[in-house]
Amino acid sequence: MIFRAVEDADLIRQAARGSVEAFNLLVSRWEKRIYNYLLRITGNREDALDVTQDVFLKAYQNLRKLDDQDRFAPWLYRIAHNEAYSMFRKRRPETDVDELVPEATETGITVGGSPVFPVELSLAVASALERLTPEQREAVVLKIYQGFKFDEMAEILSCPVSTVKSRLYTALELLKLELAPIKARGLS
Amino acid sequence: MSCSPFDLRDYFLQELADPEERRQVEAHVRVCQPCREELERLRLTEAALFTLRDEEIPQRIAFVSDKVFEPSPLRRWLAAFWGSAARLGFASAAMLSVALIVFATVRPAPAPGPSAAAIEQRVQAAADTAARAIEARYAQKTDQLVKAIEERDQQDRRMMMASYERQSDYQQNKIASLELQNRSLSNSAMMSKDGQ
Repeated sequence: MIFRAVEDADLIRQAARGSVEAFNLLVSRWEKRIYNYLLRITGNREDALDVTQDVFLKAYQNLRKLDDQDRFAPWLYRIAHNEAYSMFRKRRPETDVDELVPEATETGITVGGSPVFPVELSLAVASALERLTPEQREAVVLKIYQGFKFDEMAEILSCPVSTVKSRLYTALELLKLELAPIKARGLS
Repeated sequence: MSCSPFDLRDYFLQELADPEERRQVEAHVRVCQPCREELERLRLTEAALFTLRDEEIPQRIAFVSDKVFEPSPLRRWLAAFWGSAARLGFASAAMLSVALIVFATVRPAPAPGPSAAAIEQRVQAAADTAARAIEARYAQKTDQLVKAIEERDQQDRRMMMASYERQSDYQQNKIASLELQNRSLSNSAMMSKDGQ
């Protein structure tokens, strides 16, 4: 883990000096994570891919401004967050960002009393995530799927830790009510 | 609502860093069934969320060397220069050496200084000037004080005179009225004597 962190720092240094090869290597390490983060907050594969490309281009252009190389991950996700919200705003300038909901990929999922198959559970999860507010969903994605600490999430989302916790815990309450019984049935 | 000594969600999300706090939560969960069930629900929720797998990126992202986005050779050289502590240290040492040599060679010879007698004379002259300035300041202050005292004295005297004048007028008026009273009394006494 430490070895990997040192390697990343080295690549960042080389890329900041203009090495495209070093930056490409850095991209190959982070592109899947950034793409999946964007996929879950935009809910659209094409948008997620477009924004991922923009994120890495912006990162390359601004890499020299990154003071602390250990903060590369929150810094990169901060760019991704800003790019995604910038896209939302461009697409619907008259809409408040808080009201933006990603396009539904799978909708109308109903899980009855019968045993749940893995694919049904995945659809139920996708549906439950879509019902959260964009802020709650992003908090869940950053914590559960991307494994960030609260202070890093606060840095990415540019808000206090208390706000991050409040969004995440409210989302977890809603998800728990919806998903825990389904998952328990799937296990039985 | 959980009755755990610390937030169960913080514990579950690995945000409870203190090992002692974690131990307390674990001990509590062993004996508290509602908290154990709550923790289980959180685990099931997380497990459900993890059924949504990460997708492969449909198209790999790669950058080609593009002059538009690449920093200029000068900026790259500068970035490399500032990034190397050894090179920076060597450059600093070289600059310091050059500065020392230049300073030693081009420094102008010091001009001959004034003699001790001249310095003493200059100091004496400065002391005299300062003493004269102080004396003049004191003389000016004394003049101002004397003038102020004289003015106050004259004003007091004027007020005293005015008071005396007012008092004397009053006394004269009083004497005149007493004389008038005496005269009328003697007149009335004479009239009564004539009547008898």
